[in-house]
Amino acid sequence: MNRRIRAIFLKEVRSEMRTKSGLTTTVLFSLFTVVTISLATFDLQISPQLGAGLLCVALLFAAIVALPRTLIIEEEQGTGDLLRLVAKSEDVFWGKVLYNLVLMLITGLVLSLLFLGFTHIGVAHLWLYLVCLFGSCCSFSGAVTLCGALVAQASNRSALVGVLSVPLLLPLTFLAVSGLRVAFDTKFGFNQMNGFIAGGGLVCYGIASLAGGQYLFAAVWKR
Amino acid sequence: MLSASNLGKRFGRRWLFRGLEFELERRDRLAVIGRNGAGKSTLLKVLAGLIPPSEGKIRNTGDDPRRSIGYAALDMALYPALTVGEHLELTAELRECESRTEELLEEVGLLYAIRQPTSELSTGMRARLKLAIAVQSLPTVLLLDEPGAGLDEAGRQVVERLIEQQSMRGAVVIATNDPLERRFATHEMEILG
Amino acid sequence: MTNRSTSTILKAAFALAVGVVTIWSFEVPDAEGFQFPALARIFFWHFPCPMIATTLLFLGAWFSYRYIKTGDLKADVRAIASMELGYLFCILTMLTGIVFSQAQWGSWWQNDPRQTSFLMVLLIYAAYFALRTALADEHRRAANSAIYALSALLPVLFLIFVFPRLPQVQSFHPNTSIMGGQIKGPYAYVVTAVLALVTVLTVWLYRLRVKVGLLELLVEDKNDGLETAGGHTPAAPVVRPVRVSRDR
Repeated sequence: MNRRIRAIFLKEVRSEMRTKSGLTTTVLFSLFTVVTISLATFDLQISPQLGAGLLCVALLFAAIVALPRTLIIEEEQGTGDLLRLVAKSEDVFWGKVLYNLVLMLITGLVLSLLFLGFTHIGVAHLWLYLVCLFGSCCSFSGAVTLCGALVAQASNRSALVGVLSVPLLLPLTFLAVSGLRVAFDTKFGFNQMNGFIAGGGLVCYGIASLAGGQYLFAAVWKR
Repeated sequence: MLSASNLGKRFGRRWLFRGLEFELERRDRLAVIGRNGAGKSTLLKVLAGLIPPSEGKIRNTGDDPRRSIGYAALDMALYPALTVGEHLELTAELRECESRTEELLEEVGLLYAIRQPTSELSTGMRARLKLAIAVQSLPTVLLLDEPGAGLDEAGRQVVERLIEQQSMRGAVVIATNDPLERRFATHEMEILG
Repeated sequence: MTNRSTSTILKAAFALAVGVVTIWSFEVPDAEGFQFPALARIFFWHFPCPMIATTLLFLGAWFSYRYIKTGDLKADVRAIASMELGYLFCILTMLTGIVFSQAQWGSWWQNDPRQTSFLMVLLIYAAYFALRTALADEHRRAANSAIYALSALLPVLFLIFVFPRLPQVQSFHPNTSIMGGQIKGPYAYVVTAVLALVTVLTVWLYRLRVKVGLLELLVEDKNDGLETAGGHTPAAPVVRPVRVSRDR
């Protein structure tokens, strides 16, 4: 990591540590989501398919709540100009993505642990489970950071960011569901190879969205 | 150092300025004047590369705009959670230049507040910090939007001193209607938009 | 012959061809394997729609890329023309698909993966138009929507080409109706004729939309000139830098 990316990352971490608004909101959101799921399914034995779907949807919405904030806040508090003056767009992108990735990994970990605890779903293939979680977090941080940049100067940015992010992330959610349902499967005997293909696809999708995101972000940031 | 050819900016169908041509050399100090809303601040933002021109070109002889252009404006915000010192460390890291934190804060009279978060600063103190950030990389072009706004007499003297120093190494563009600040100018340009 | 009369003849020939092909589509014998063969004739009009929609959406992404490269608003006009028409054909695909679904499987909405994935494509492009309406500055609008169109390419490719062919996805929707030889004989000829007609219609509509967009750009520029001449804004609202000499 170069010094400039580290500087942006540390700025985000410092701001977050002092205000604590982003992380608190996201963890609270995760908790509410899991409790709501638990409440809605109190008399059901959740199948691996349903469990995978519910966890992915919860992760998707947690990402949309947490991640665009890092860029939208630059325009809301008016600091975007300062950053544009002194930073290269690729440093801003990677600094923000790195921060979003850490935030998303913490959120993903908290959310999934709560989810497993509340719904009593067992994990049959821990490695596949971790690969799917990591791949989802990478892809979410790349795609939602870009969407945050796209809407940062729009009139109704908070609502619009969800409208833009959800459709872009749904194919990814499908891969995550495909992988996670195999990871959760203890009795149906789903094809493990399909699960690993989905997990691999998720990681590749994440890498592609991060690599492409850098160039697309540059075209939005300085214009 | 900085030149504009056929420069124009419009918002919707309204042109703020059009056909603007100038070339600034070392020691040139250009005052941009005009009534409120004429487009002075927009011109400075265009020159700083913060917003794209609608037509025309800007040429800056500096190596990298991050270091060769210094910009301070009233409407440019600072990170409320970061301290004064952290701002200068951050901008130095991003610009890849020497941070000169203590030297700059001494110069703008803000050294005593080095560990204070900017959310606790007054308007005048923020203006001083923005001036310090603007001159940190020893830019070849310094763009100042209403530099005296919110500053006391001592603050105005800081502005005057920084403009004098900048003249030694490059050019200055000041957007202002203040007769005191217009005094510093070697050239004047009025925007009528 | 003048250009105007050539154009009239071409339009008349096109209208005649549409009439002939429509009548032909009702005259061919029923295809085998449909529950309601008469209603299943919607397939003739359903089949070209997703092909043309997909082509136009990719064309839109290409012009979006051109805008990012050049910053020329004409590329944005071409991108928005492709996207609007592509979106129209996406809607037609959904509508004709819904009718076909009722004819073949007895339900308007099957929750079929192919139907749902195409609905998702429709939503992705609806978000594109939502983004455009939220940005006031024309260049920012063009740039941000271009970036969105490009970043939507990966999910759109996945939804159209990968998702329906995954082994774990069981769809009612056939993937190879024509190439697999399920549609043949006169039925296949009508399908091909309709595809050709809709393609010609699309090209014509696309050219008209681009022409309108370019004219709008031109009118905007002319209006600036008129406003300037009318005295609302001075011709060059700036005074050239003048040296101020002072005794200092």
